[in-house]
Amino acid sequence: MTDILKVENVTLTFGGVKAITDISFNVREGEICAVIGPNGAGKSSMLNVINGVYLPQIGTVTYDGVERRTINPRDAAIAGMARTFQNIALFQGMTVLENIMTGRNLFMKSSWLEQGLNIGRARKEEKENRLAVEKVIKFLQIESIRKTPVSKLPYGLQKRVELGRALVAEPKILLLDEPMAGMNLEEKADMSCFILEINKEQGITTVMIEHDMGVVMDISDHVVVLDYGKKIGDGTPSEVMSNQDVIDAYLGVSH
Amino acid sequence: MIYRETGNFVTNYFKDREIFPLKFDKIIVIIGLLFLYLYVPTTSEYTLSAHVVPILAVGLATVGLNILTGLTGQLSLGTAGFMCVGAFSTYNLMLRMPEDFMSLPVALLFSGIFAGIVGVIFGLPAIRIKGFYLLVSTLAAQYFVWWFFNSYAWFLNYETSGVVAIPPKMYDYWGLGNLLGIDMQGYPARYVLALTVCLALTYFAKNLLRSNTGRNFMSVRDRDIAASVMGISVPRTKLLAFFVSCFYCGVAGGLYSFCYIGNVDLMIYEIDRSFTILFMLIIGGLGSISGSWLGAIFVYEFLIVFTWVGDTIFQGAFNTAVVENVSNMVYGVFIIALLIREPGGFAALWATTKQKLRMWPYPH
Amino acid sequence: MDWVYLIEVLVGGLMSGVMYSLVAIGFVLIYKSSGIFNFAQGTMLLFASLTFVKMTENGIDFWTSLFIAAGIMVIFGIATERYVIRPLANQDLLALFMATVGLATFQEGFSQFVWDSDVHGLQMSKFLDIGLLDPAPIFMSDHIPWLDILIPKFDIFASLVAGSLIVVLAFFFQKTKTGLSLRAVSDDHMAAMAVGIPLQTVWAVVWAVTGVIALVAGLLWAERVSVSFTLIEAVMKALPVILIGGLTSIPGAIVGGLVIGVGEKLGEIYLADVFGGQGIELWFAYFMALIFLIFRPQGMFGEKLIERV
Repeated sequence: MTDILKVENVTLTFGGVKAITDISFNVREGEICAVIGPNGAGKSSMLNVINGVYLPQIGTVTYDGVERRTINPRDAAIAGMARTFQNIALFQGMTVLENIMTGRNLFMKSSWLEQGLNIGRARKEEKENRLAVEKVIKFLQIESIRKTPVSKLPYGLQKRVELGRALVAEPKILLLDEPMAGMNLEEKADMSCFILEINKEQGITTVMIEHDMGVVMDISDHVVVLDYGKKIGDGTPSEVMSNQDVIDAYLGVSH
Repeated sequence: MIYRETGNFVTNYFKDREIFPLKFDKIIVIIGLLFLYLYVPTTSEYTLSAHVVPILAVGLATVGLNILTGLTGQLSLGTAGFMCVGAFSTYNLMLRMPEDFMSLPVALLFSGIFAGIVGVIFGLPAIRIKGFYLLVSTLAAQYFVWWFFNSYAWFLNYETSGVVAIPPKMYDYWGLGNLLGIDMQGYPARYVLALTVCLALTYFAKNLLRSNTGRNFMSVRDRDIAASVMGISVPRTKLLAFFVSCFYCGVAGGLYSFCYIGNVDLMIYEIDRSFTILFMLIIGGLGSISGSWLGAIFVYEFLIVFTWVGDTIFQGAFNTAVVENVSNMVYGVFIIALLIREPGGFAALWATTKQKLRMWPYPH
Repeated sequence: MDWVYLIEVLVGGLMSGVMYSLVAIGFVLIYKSSGIFNFAQGTMLLFASLTFVKMTENGIDFWTSLFIAAGIMVIFGIATERYVIRPLANQDLLALFMATVGLATFQEGFSQFVWDSDVHGLQMSKFLDIGLLDPAPIFMSDHIPWLDILIPKFDIFASLVAGSLIVVLAFFFQKTKTGLSLRAVSDDHMAAMAVGIPLQTVWAVVWAVTGVIALVAGLLWAERVSVSFTLIEAVMKALPVILIGGLTSIPGAIVGGLVIGVGEKLGEIYLADVFGGQGIELWFAYFMALIFLIFRPQGMFGEKLIERV
């Protein structure tokens, strides 16, 4: 098993604030890696660095064998990274189906002229990609809401749609930022099943930020713990849970 | 034949994407087309020249603006400027290019392209500038274009009055007039040209809206960071929106000058016009192509109706100043009321009405 | 290089810039406190000055007219907040902008419908017996020997008025509690409401104050270009001013005004030949703003838009 993602000595500062200080960890191909830690620990920032939304001052991210300090988010997408966002970044003016279809945009090669005329290659592509999208819709059990504008959906379903949008891009690695935030027990169970199935059936490496320890213990293979921008734990779930530093961080022992 | 939306199941994805899924709708469309092409040209010249043709021209411009502002979220006040480019390009192409090669429809196509290119140039700042700050770019376009054509008399063929009347021979493309014995400068012929152009471009716009490109536009409007994270090139999408939108506005400008007014005149393409089209867009509903047409019809007809009411009922008590002022007041109030009540404009009102009709006589 | 001439041009540009700034301040005030891009600023100017002028023409004295006009603008501002802004409070900023465009159209029609569409000259020196309003210019050479330029006294007066207005406003925003509330409201309406800031009152105050500023600016402008529909056009130029200065900055409005004022004058004199035509001031201001914004998309002093993902 190779490391599909290697984060090395990444430091990220905003003005005077050090969001991330000298963090390194590796993610093996095909694993589910959970990034946990108290609020403000730098988890979302870490994800943003991996995907190119933030540029670290120091350090590199090696993805799929290529080492870079910075990457254009668009290139990251083309290279097979797909992600969801903490505060849901769905396109509020479109329906579920349209949102998920946008996830397929890298597969649509026809020109705007062909699309405007609705001929040949454009028609074919629309149909083929629709097929791919419908598979994901079926998988996520959201057929009944496919024509609903996403703005009308409850939070939990929006998160599911966002997962669908990421999934449909056939990524090599999924970056999920708190995919279960704000969900009840049942929704969390569903979401966990989806994430597990995506990982096991399709072999997509998943890096997810998560707060629910139960979920983390249940489904992740590898856990990285952050606190105040530094890494304080890295290993299997059970290793990490018995780490004194981690316990202190969560229980709020003063530093 | 009952208007029945239920029981209409689609069996493949192509059918799911049809613009007029119901058979009844398809029949209405065919009847509509027959009506438009066979009956309307026989109506009075007044109807055509004062109502139908101008609405076709401004409606097309509204659709163009919709693509830029409604779909892609790039606010623009330069619509009239781009129309101006289109009008002047059409005139100059027809004037200076060899007759065998250049004919009115072809000239319209090329002027659309020129307008599109100008649009892309003024759209470049949109890559860096966002939000209201972007107004500066389209306003710059509006004023610059106007000044440009005003300063270089070559474009108006050195016509000292500042207005050029379009010569009749420019209307006779491909010798159709002689062939079919129709007066190509007459309003029926102009109308048919405008109608065909508008129908074709509206169809194109509708397809675009439902396609990948349309979704890209909307994603840039809604959440451009998320869009780029998914691989959509935001700069490229924005520039494409500018190109397509200004293409439409350019063609609309050509139609306005050639099919409607019959003159090439800078006064037509001042900033007022940009605002009028913006009104049509808002009233019709941002993001809805049919809404743009509804908005254009409403705004345009309102003025005419108002003047007519003044003339007939109040016996000409309203002079032009009063008409303009009161209509401005009404537009203003109407826009505000509409925004409060239904920000989606006429298009949304229509959708709500249809929904109510489906439920009728139940309230919900 | 005729330095004295250049200085005269520069001073002229500065004065002109001050005028733009006056209009811009009204825009910024509203934007700063509500995020609304008030397109109706120009028509407010027109309405205010038209009201004032019609009253003075009918024999009402200066101070009474001024007072009444100010009162009308305050009422208008409060009414706008109540009937236009408040109902739209939970819609996005584009909708609110459109509403102000609607408001502007309404005001344009209303002003000219209620009063009339004629051009009205305005000479304030007829009313106010202050030496500064005397239309005769100051010969700077009387004061500074080598500076052989003319500065209209009126321009100095306008600059003083603008200057004091800015100082007052800047103080207000930075140092007073109400100013703080206003800034909170502009950042996030919902959050401000949640901490108990009376949104409606704040906005009513802002719109009323803006109305009065519009009156002041309108009168000063009217002296220069007289009160008519063209006042609105002149005011459209204030747009590049605020865009350069930054939509949220009052000092920015001043600096932006000066930059545009000077830039325009310089452009007109030195660049007109290059472009082979007159009337480049039509678009020159916009181009200046455009180039500026490309390098600094939020304007000179505007707040940088930070999007958190």
